[in-house]
Amino acid sequence: MTITQEKPLAANVRADFPILHQQINGKPLVYLDNAATSQKPIAVLDTLRHYYEFDNANVHRGVHTLSSRATDAYEGSRDKVAAFVNAASRQEIIFTRNATEAINLVGYSWGVANLQPGDEIILTVMEHHSNLIPWQLIAQRTGAVLKFVELTESEEFDFNHFKSLLSDKTRLVAVVHVSNTLGCINPVKEICAEAHRDGAKVLIDASQAVPHLQVDVQDMDCDWLVATGHKMCGPTGIGFLYGKLELLRSMPPFLGGGEMIADVFLDHSTYADLPHKFEAGTPAISEAIALGAAVDYLTSIGMDTIHAYEQQLTDYLLEQLEQVPTIRIYGPKNGRDRAALAAFTAGDVHPHDLSTILDQAGVAIRAGHHCTQPLHRYLGAQSTARASLYFYNTREEIDVFIATLKEAVEFFGSIFG
Amino acid sequence: MTSLGNLRDLYQQVILERYKKPRYRGQAEPVHRYQKGHNPSCGDTIELTLNLNEVGDRIEEVRFEGEGCAIAMASADLMAEALTGRNVNEALEMVQRFQDMMKGGVEFPSEFRKLNVMQGVSKFPVRIKCATLTWHTLKAALESSSSAPPNGFVSNE
Ligand SMILES: Cc1ncc(COP(=O)(O)O)c(C=O)c1O
Repeated sequence: MTITQEKPLAANVRADFPILHQQINGKPLVYLDNAATSQKPIAVLDTLRHYYEFDNANVHRGVHTLSSRATDAYEGSRDKVAAFVNAASRQEIIFTRNATEAINLVGYSWGVANLQPGDEIILTVMEHHSNLIPWQLIAQRTGAVLKFVELTESEEFDFNHFKSLLSDKTRLVAVVHVSNTLGCINPVKEICAEAHRDGAKVLIDASQAVPHLQVDVQDMDCDWLVATGHKMCGPTGIGFLYGKLELLRSMPPFLGGGEMIADVFLDHSTYADLPHKFEAGTPAISEAIALGAAVDYLTSIGMDTIHAYEQQLTDYLLEQLEQVPTIRIYGPKNGRDRAALAAFTAGDVHPHDLSTILDQAGVAIRAGHHCTQPLHRYLGAQSTARASLYFYNTREEIDVFIATLKEAVEFFGSIFG
Repeated sequence: MTSLGNLRDLYQQVILERYKKPRYRGQAEPVHRYQKGHNPSCGDTIELTLNLNEVGDRIEEVRFEGEGCAIAMASADLMAEALTGRNVNEALEMVQRFQDMMKGGVEFPSEFRKLNVMQGVSKFPVRIKCATLTWHTLKAALESSSSAPPNGFVSNE
């Protein structure tokens, strides 16, 4: 085997992920469901434990030492996330439960306050349900109208179609950065520029981008961007919203309660400054701090290193998948144009059956509609199987996956030659 | 499959055959009961149509349409076969027995032994929903008294 540049990365990091070193059904675990959630490095696990063993207290509420430690760590984590996506100010980062909550925050705060009947929201047919259902609800409530960008022949974002949908009625464009099903990396910077020309705001769902690529919100010039901690080596229960400062300032609160107030009277209140205005109630403190540890971990490897490694691995995955009889891969064919995942179908073999067979060989993949049901309908597939990689995956794991996949296809094919 | 031999328990020959060449796909004629089933977590769907005798206490014909995995589709096909000519009460008892079998309970008696090929599913807990979708849908079909296309779906979540 040739010595390739990517070998050292996975080899160096695998020891950081205890969960990877186990047997499933008597075979070494091959975890290829990273688009659903990533595994967590020891640094993140240790941070959670350390927090509860030494620093646990509520934040922003006390003058005692533990409270100040917890607050410093929580706010320190915000600084890390802000730097990670290159936000201009730490006040532009709002901690949420996940990406879904961040999108709902924008919908119920900005959307309800600003959208009028007949205003248009442009989405794409490839949106995750998280970036679709909130807008359906907001549209029902405000009378706004949803429009959908379709796909090109190569199953990518159709920029020309997007341009044809934009008009002076467009108030919002909400687009996924990296599709969790097609794997395509959308031209978000160009999308922002084009939408801004028509005075529309842009929300980017970067749930599948932030874990894998260098994301720079200032360079992209998006108005809002959301991501979710558990897909980027962090724990569940924590995600974030980035928003441009003036825009966030202009938005009314989403949830009311403690933490988000300045002065409270019985009949009215004034609200805390950003970011606290949008963080009602006791936040997910340990999770936020652990997300900071995840950001440190990713930064210590380097997002460019991660992306470069994953591109090589994705090329290999696509190349190998294409060798499997009856396989149909969705999304762009060139590994350079996509993120580290591939959704596919294999002839007559239903994705669920594939997943069960692969699981017997220790290989974890996703089968179903991956929360993109409209996209599946658009593609004419009831469901697909999906293998999604992270920087700790190896070529050898892809080999195990492909070998088992071939066996499964043969097994099903053998019944009627 | 060499390294995956234990999957033969799950994917018995009959199951794969029925998946590839179902015998009871289509629509009953005429339709006396109509029910749709849906497994929201995976998207599998089943549409059952039943043709009953005049009194409505005997199943003359069961047909299914739908999309899903080998387990779900074969289960529907085998169920349709087993139910033909059965009376409604007996069919409802079979729903219960099938569910029991999925929990590791007793098999069907020999006149229904073909249904016992589904027993292997009980060792794959996440796949039990696939096998039972058609039976859930049948139960709802028998418990309704309408032949109109249903508005919604029966879900087995
Ligand atoms: C593209 C995309 N958007 C949004 C989400 C939702 O993430 P969460 O469920 O953590 O809010 C996901 C993950 O499932 C996703 O892949």
